Amino acid sequence: MIRLIAITDDASMPPAPLHAVGCGRLTAICAPVDEHSGGADSLWRHEELVESLMETRDLLPVRFGTQLADDEAVAQAVGARGGQLAQRLELVRGAVELALRVDERGAAEPPLTGAATGTEYMQLQADRVRNGRMIHDELAALARETTMLPGPELLRAAYLVERSNVDAFVARVRKLQEANPELVLICTGPWPPYSFADEERA
Amino acid sequence: MRDKVLAAPKDLDPLSVEPPRLEDALSRRINADPESVERGLVQLVLTIVELLRQLMERQALRRIDAGSLTEEQVERLGTTFMELDRRMEELRDEFGLDVEDLNLDLGPLGRLL
Amino acid sequence: MSTAVADREVALVDLVDRLLGGGVVIAGDITLSVADVDLVYVSLRALISSVATAQEKQLLPRMGEAW
Repeated sequence: MIRLIAITDDASMPPAPLHAVGCGRLTAICAPVDEHSGGADSLWRHEELVESLMETRDLLPVRFGTQLADDEAVAQAVGARGGQLAQRLELVRGAVELALRVDERGAAEPPLTGAATGTEYMQLQADRVRNGRMIHDELAALARETTMLPGPELLRAAYLVERSNVDAFVARVRKLQEANPELVLICTGPWPPYSFADEERA
Repeated sequence: MRDKVLAAPKDLDPLSVEPPRLEDALSRRINADPESVERGLVQLVLTIVELLRQLMERQALRRIDAGSLTEEQVERLGTTFMELDRRMEELRDEFGLDVEDLNLDLGPLGRLL
Repeated sequence: MSTAVADREVALVDLVDRLLGGGVVIAGDITLSVADVDLVYVSLRALISSVATAQEKQLLPRMGEAW
């Protein structure tokens, strides 16, 4: 068994212990099975591998834990989706993914207890949703592509951002945090484009 | 690999990153009784654990069939799953939940387990 | 908690969202870590920390210790 970790159209050899499998015009990057798998550490180790690859090529990260029998199985599976994957690669070329979570600061004072009437209650609800939406829209304008992710926060989203635009994006997040002290904005990244790599997500 | 946090409030406590909003949302929509909210959350958590346990057991059984695990690994897996089962039972008892309580009805998607 | 460790704690939810919920889905054998239940703990913890309640820390003691 081997692990499939990323798909690219850069044919250059990856560093050991990774190896490349040709799949038509695409290349699948594979790794040996991780003997010490388990825990957050194995997730972080995997992530480091993918990110080191991404330093020198555009790629689509493959879902964690994907294992196939051998190179032939990889070539077959990836080849079967070659057209779609090539399109996805074009979408993410030159860009990275940034993650954002926005939520209200603390739940000590449930924000809706201030409502005296049904209308006020609805107004307060609408205000809260609007806060998240406004933040999202402002940041989406700085991104090539964006998608919402499931989560309990006011906003949980992923943004596909041009590498050269990352600093401006982060600066905007900080400004939005300053402008909204009652909210908590958490921005992490850059990540490989996980949320834009496959149809299901985007 | 560089540090992944690009922007976050300075006073963020990493162990309580997200405030308990789901609990608030649930309590507003379902029932204002805090005890039933707690129970509902426990139900959800245990259901997920149970789902994953089944998934992992199935995968383990496949690997045992394929002969790709050593006797030692099989033994360790077995005791891990048994321990998990035992602990789940304890937690269910603690919160007064039956196994059936974990079988959430998802409507058109059928039952969860 | 050192800054590096704290930052990883904060970013863990986003890491799990991506590695386990994103990425290309290729017909293969998605294998969670079966020999080590810790990965389940990590996924659940990431899920639960996003719906954190005071009870969370009592509900799921570190596997391998109390389990």
